[in-house]
Amino acid sequence: MVRIYFAGIDLGSTMTKIVIIDNDEQILAYLVHHTGAEHRHLANRVMEEGLEKASLSIDDISFVMATGYGRINVPFSDHQVTELSCHARGIASFFPNVHLAIDIGGQDAKGLKIREGKLLDFVMSDKCAAGTGRFLEVIAATLGLEVEDLGDISLRSTQKASVSSICTVFAQQEVVNHLSGGIPLEDVVAGLHDAIAGRTARMVRRLKVEPDVVFTGGVAKNIGVVRALEENLGCPVLVPEEPLLSGALGAALLGKELTLKALAAGETIQTGKRRLDKATFFE
Amino acid sequence: MAEPSKGLLRAQEIYQDRSHRAIELREQGKKIMGYLCIYPVLEMMTALDIVPYRILGDMREPITRADSYMPAVNCPFLRSCLDLGLKGKYSFLDGIVTTHICDVGSSLSGIWNYTVRTPFSHHIDTPHTLHETSLQQEKGLLQDYRKALENFTGQKMTTEKLKEAIRVHNEQRVLVRGLYELKKQDPPLISGVETIQVIKAIQSLPVDEGNELIREVISEVKERSDGPPHKSARLLVWGSILDDTAFMEMIEGLDANVVMDDTCVGSRAYFDDVELTDDPLDGLSRHYLMDIKCPRTFRTRDYNDVRKDYMTDLGVRFSYLRDYARDWKADGVILESVRYCDTHGYDVPSVRDYLDSIGIPSIYLEHDYTEGALAPFRTRVQGFLEIIG
Amino acid sequence: MTTEAKPRALNRLKSMYALRAEVDKMYEGGAEASEEGKPVAWVMLEGWSNAILNAMGVKTVFPENYSSLCAAQGVATPFLDRSEAEGYPTHLCGYARTCIGYSSRMVELDGDIPPEAPAGGMPKPTLLVASGEVCDARFKWFQSLGRFFDAPVWTLESPSPGLRERLTEGAHERNVHFLINELKAFVAFLEKLLGKKMDWDALEYTGGGTNEINRWRWEINELRKAHPGPMNTRDFWSAVTAALFRGAANPDVIAEGFHKMYDEVQERVDNGIAGISLPEKYRLSFEGLPPWHSLGFLEQLAERGWNFVIESAYRPPRPVTVDLSKYSDPMERYVRRRYRSLENSLEEDYGSEEAGMIIDEILCDGTSRRMGLKHIRDYQVDGVVLHVLLTCRSTSAGLNLLQHRLLDILKVPSLVIEGDIIDVSAFNPTEALRNAEAFEETMEHYRKVRKELGMPW
Repeated sequence: MVRIYFAGIDLGSTMTKIVIIDNDEQILAYLVHHTGAEHRHLANRVMEEGLEKASLSIDDISFVMATGYGRINVPFSDHQVTELSCHARGIASFFPNVHLAIDIGGQDAKGLKIREGKLLDFVMSDKCAAGTGRFLEVIAATLGLEVEDLGDISLRSTQKASVSSICTVFAQQEVVNHLSGGIPLEDVVAGLHDAIAGRTARMVRRLKVEPDVVFTGGVAKNIGVVRALEENLGCPVLVPEEPLLSGALGAALLGKELTLKALAAGETIQTGKRRLDKATFFE
Repeated sequence: MAEPSKGLLRAQEIYQDRSHRAIELREQGKKIMGYLCIYPVLEMMTALDIVPYRILGDMREPITRADSYMPAVNCPFLRSCLDLGLKGKYSFLDGIVTTHICDVGSSLSGIWNYTVRTPFSHHIDTPHTLHETSLQQEKGLLQDYRKALENFTGQKMTTEKLKEAIRVHNEQRVLVRGLYELKKQDPPLISGVETIQVIKAIQSLPVDEGNELIREVISEVKERSDGPPHKSARLLVWGSILDDTAFMEMIEGLDANVVMDDTCVGSRAYFDDVELTDDPLDGLSRHYLMDIKCPRTFRTRDYNDVRKDYMTDLGVRFSYLRDYARDWKADGVILESVRYCDTHGYDVPSVRDYLDSIGIPSIYLEHDYTEGALAPFRTRVQGFLEIIG
Repeated sequence: MTTEAKPRALNRLKSMYALRAEVDKMYEGGAEASEEGKPVAWVMLEGWSNAILNAMGVKTVFPENYSSLCAAQGVATPFLDRSEAEGYPTHLCGYARTCIGYSSRMVELDGDIPPEAPAGGMPKPTLLVASGEVCDARFKWFQSLGRFFDAPVWTLESPSPGLRERLTEGAHERNVHFLINELKAFVAFLEKLLGKKMDWDALEYTGGGTNEINRWRWEINELRKAHPGPMNTRDFWSAVTAALFRGAANPDVIAEGFHKMYDEVQERVDNGIAGISLPEKYRLSFEGLPPWHSLGFLEQLAERGWNFVIESAYRPPRPVTVDLSKYSDPMERYVRRRYRSLENSLEEDYGSEEAGMIIDEILCDGTSRRMGLKHIRDYQVDGVVLHVLLTCRSTSAGLNLLQHRLLDILKVPSLVIEGDIIDVSAFNPTEALRNAEAFEETMEHYRKVRKELGMPW
């Protein structure tokens, strides 16, 4: 049987993700790297690593689809699609009944209205840190904690503290005030999670909240935020095993769709020059 | 000596350096009258040989002086206008005419008088509704406005002069509509970016020079082979002021052409003519109060109707958008407004309800009148295009 | 040993409570009125429609007040969230968004009053009376409620001319006739909607009754010029809602309530009692709308000896006797009783000489350096708090210029406190209190400056 391969690369402002699949949609390789200021140009290295893991070369890939903040200038991609469409497609492959998808990344937050795997509407928040992974990072640093520990700490809370959700700087001040007022750390952290969940819930309610509700992005790894989101939305929230996967996977799947559509129509697939060079973002 | 440029190139030059011609004319002895928004009656300026000059902001100029006099939680476009005034960028104006466009616009009128101190100023308290009493009031206000302009120039505004001014301004409206006709083609013969440049240019020139410019642009564009390329999507843009091409460039940099707009550095001032009435103030008051379709005017089919239903109301207020979308074959609508614009903000859900009811997809973008903040919109607009594609 | 509760820094007037209780009653009977088929109008606060609607037997409900009630009780947030979910931008008026959220919730409940709504809630409207005056929200908001209710909307126009334009020959009379004709058109509309005729005698009565209320309020404010200030802004805000929202419905009771308040304030003046329990260190004015959700903030400032002796919003009009003898048309009498020419108002407030100077300024510059600062002089204010609101453009737009004018002309400093009328998350009292000490130093400094210049305070 002929196998054909598709790659999706999601160049986020915080993390770069790559997924390589075959025509049965089996995942052959999956990688996550920090993007960061130094590494953001080096998406090609991540791609090379992914190809090595899948034991493939770039020419084996029928279609490379780029998405994410840095999608425009990826020299080895064939086409680019927004992370909005890619996330919708990727999440629906795990949860076919998804109606509302929420993605909270390092620097933005999105809500996606999805029906039968197709994106119908969306809301985005990317103007400020509040409501994103950055919010939790900043406050964790203020508290001298690791972001990864926040979830478990908050589960010990018995009475969450009130924390402003409108501004990270306000929230920082409040957190310091709460602690110096003697409020237990776990209650403060639970309050933080409630703040980010409340803000997210307000944003996504513009799309109507209907199950299945799926939560992805780095912040979805925080069990405290998951619980807070369930409480704020009033319904269960599903989280995939690997919450960072959906954008890159969706990109690969959309690349597959474009390819198969072209093949069925007897058309040549339009591919790019495939130079494994640095990405240049919007410069 | 180099030939003066014409057509689109001239429009682009004026767009880049708007005040050049106005300053030239002032040196020749003409009076230049600044005006804010499209509710000041321009015909009455032209009738007394005053050059109307639209006051606009500059989204590429950081606001540094206006914050002393206007809080940051106000329309950034109006703050930018004040900022430019305080920086002397409007020092060539002999006067300024403002109207009751919105809260901050009205407030700006008083703040401008206090701080920028343009020698002449007049404020027209345009009513909000289409009541019969409002129409009478508008006419009364225009009578006062006429007196003020006559005092300012020392000339009488005769009926003949005013009728002639209406004729020439109506001619401009017809010409602009003629230009917009060329956007019905696929691909449109003139882009959304170029349209803003042309409209901004004619709002910086005396009406007859503006008419000449549009004629040049129309004949150039009809023959062009270098027009906008075919794109997958044709879009209509609705909303508050877009006086810079940056927003349009962001959209037209994607797989879309903006083929029609409902904005005020756009079609809003030009899609209805002033009726020539025996007393010209009747036609002018009717046009400026009733015809201009800005959300600052409260519009109902019949204000005496004691029955009401939402969908009928939406049709009365927005059916012209259906006509635009149909006639210009728009696939979708981008609604935009600046942050802190209340008049457009309240309308957004209703406009979207209307567009949903007639099956036209839409997206709402709220921006803050800075060039740098436009990049995130690329993703949103592209996402929208992926949905409707 | 028991610990004594800390005494309150604000010295509340007893008479305020009775007036405030009147407002609590405002929402009683709303649900019943609606069930009985009595017409219910949601109305904006302006000087014109309330008495007309009451004279025609319409139950009037004020969403502006209801929203501030929700904020004061800490229950506005779910309505604000709902409004955001409906797609309304978050910079829109907090009153409007609270009401939009409330209306959306009513629709979810098939038109019933939400069980969680405080004070009995607002019944579904049969009519919406919007206003073209003061701000855009007051007609755009009611227009947008069409999404939730099929109630007809009448936008009541009133003139808002520029200063110089108002002085143009003939402008005042034209504006009077605009108002008369507009209100007559409104009455004709009501008669058609309600199937009954206007009771002109009732209109004459309520018009007179509200004058009495305003007269007492004016006299109370005159007493507040005393040192120390006998009545804090906090009490003014608590009582003002009675005048604004119950005045036309129940003029005698409200007038009597303010009469009692006048007596109590007079007694305080006679005995040198202040509106704060601590010594009055600084006299302040509050400019802008109140932070309804955090009125207790004034308590924290009172602890520092800050006595807010006057405020800019909701001030009572000067009681004047207008000779209506030559006017027989009831609507003309109604309008002329209230709508004054700018020349007359200036003359009454400033006296002929200063009024003349102000008029000259206006005719020359289209603006006035002097106008609008009189209360700062009259109440001998040391400092001004400027409440710049995230969602209220009409009250906030002029505050930065006011800051300049206060300093340039009266040598009075001001402190900007950012916040919102409804959305508590926009207000940061910690930040505001952090600035208090520095502002006290500024106020001290400018006291010296004024003294050196020979100013009276």
